[in-house]
Amino acid sequence: MICEHCKVRQATVTVTQIINGQKSERHYCEVCANQFHPFNIDFNKEENLPLAQLVSNWFGLPVWKNETHEKQTQTAQTATTCPACGYSFHQFLNEGKLGCPKCYETFSNKLPQVLTKIQAGTKHNGKIPGTTMNNHLLLKKQINSTRDQLQQAIYEERFEDAAKLRDEIKDMERKLETGGVDTP
Amino acid sequence: MNLEYFLKNEAPSWMSNEGTDADIVISTRIRLARNLDGYRFPRNFSEQDAKQVDHVVTNALLNIRKGKQNFSHFTIKEMPALQRQVLVEKHLISPLLAKKEKSASVVISNDQSISVMVNEEDHLRIQCLAPGFQIFETYELANKLDSYLEKHIPYAFNETFGYLTCCPTNVGTGLRASVMMHLPALALSNQMKVITQMLTRLGMVVRGIYGEGSENLGNMYQISNQVTLGKSEQEILEDLQNVVSQIIQNERNARQSLVKQAPIALEDRIQRSLGTLKYARIMTSEEAATCLSNVRLGVDLGIIKGVSISILNECMILIQQGFVQQYAGATLQATERDLFRAKLLREKLNMENQNTKEKGEEKYDV
Repeated sequence: MICEHCKVRQATVTVTQIINGQKSERHYCEVCANQFHPFNIDFNKEENLPLAQLVSNWFGLPVWKNETHEKQTQTAQTATTCPACGYSFHQFLNEGKLGCPKCYETFSNKLPQVLTKIQAGTKHNGKIPGTTMNNHLLLKKQINSTRDQLQQAIYEERFEDAAKLRDEIKDMERKLETGGVDTP
Repeated sequence: MNLEYFLKNEAPSWMSNEGTDADIVISTRIRLARNLDGYRFPRNFSEQDAKQVDHVVTNALLNIRKGKQNFSHFTIKEMPALQRQVLVEKHLISPLLAKKEKSASVVISNDQSISVMVNEEDHLRIQCLAPGFQIFETYELANKLDSYLEKHIPYAFNETFGYLTCCPTNVGTGLRASVMMHLPALALSNQMKVITQMLTRLGMVVRGIYGEGSENLGNMYQISNQVTLGKSEQEILEDLQNVVSQIIQNERNARQSLVKQAPIALEDRIQRSLGTLKYARIMTSEEAATCLSNVRLGVDLGIIKGVSISILNECMILIQQGFVQQYAGATLQATERDLFRAKLLREKLNMENQNTKEKGEEKYDV
């Protein structure tokens, strides 16, 4: 189809106008459509902006769903969407709330950045439900905190302390393997 | 127990004048946020999920028959708006729960010290209330119930993040401990702003008595921990305990210097407030709260005798709009509420006087 305005170039933009319930469709080429744009935005600069979106901006019409566009957003979403509730990290940042308990696992590498701003740390340090798991988890937690101390000691070049801490960690790890029983 | 029992005009047990430092700390509240594994959070779950969660939690709670602690279950949807309002004003449910349309409910213990909100922001909100300054005792109460429930309900828990909650401001321990304090002298000497700023730096928040966003009506402040992750329950509670103890000390000092510096002005203010409460015909909730605060200070300082703190506690709850309307037995416009509020306060405070007189006469007869 040839552009209705210049009648030279190929028409690539469809403008749908509804005036008093009368629908009219016009077909322009990119150059002419550009001239008609009320704000004269140079849409060639934003090449990834689909033309359909331009027209919708123009007349406030809903966006035509462009196949390639849809695919793009889909791939972007799957990377950060919770499989259990379909919540995205973007949604969380907007609303400040999560969708389901699984979200914490899904966003486990992004959440700590947010948590450091609002909490005293990023690791739970309190009550643990259940009695059978208790020893096991407590020990794990102890090992982690000792490891932090070890890093600190190395950083401050207190090597004697570091050696002691290293032995402590080894002891605890052995305990963990033997199921919390204190055997040499 | 039927709902009417929990709607009665009386101040609940946690408002009795007991506990340590009860002159300054009105009550202690502990809240634990918990969720069930395998269900979406209430903000975007289905009606069916809501019903299942409600069913599981309610069953677990209603099966507790150890000792005296019995629970009653109420569905929010089935309550008229005014009754919901009254429960909010009694601090038995949150304003958010009162607005819920999906299967939200509340399970309340008969002495009203424990209420478990189901399907609020989280699946479970265990709340325990106690009079006075009793942070650790109240936590123990909540902790016991929590430990009982975890055997019957699969909690959503993660090794790294602890108890998982809808809002990341509650994740970890899910614990919010708050202490309601009456701080007239600190407020009068303009020290509250400094204290509020200082507390923010310590990871704590100061709010008005009626929760988030409410102003400091009647010099009542609610101080609670903000941080829930990275600290253990013990640390959170100890930090709050220390801070509150310091504030109590500051308040006592400020009261002493008030008495020293302006004894007549202070007494004038206090007695005027008592007069207003006893004889006014129109009372806004702000004025009522201010007068009650002044009279309470008067009682604490020994300037006013013959008014009990428990009556003042009761009045503090009764002046809220839901209770005033329940008292009147009708929904009222703001201006009408002010008339009924004044009437209610007159009755309460003058009744108190008669009681003490009668008691005195009895003694005479004997």
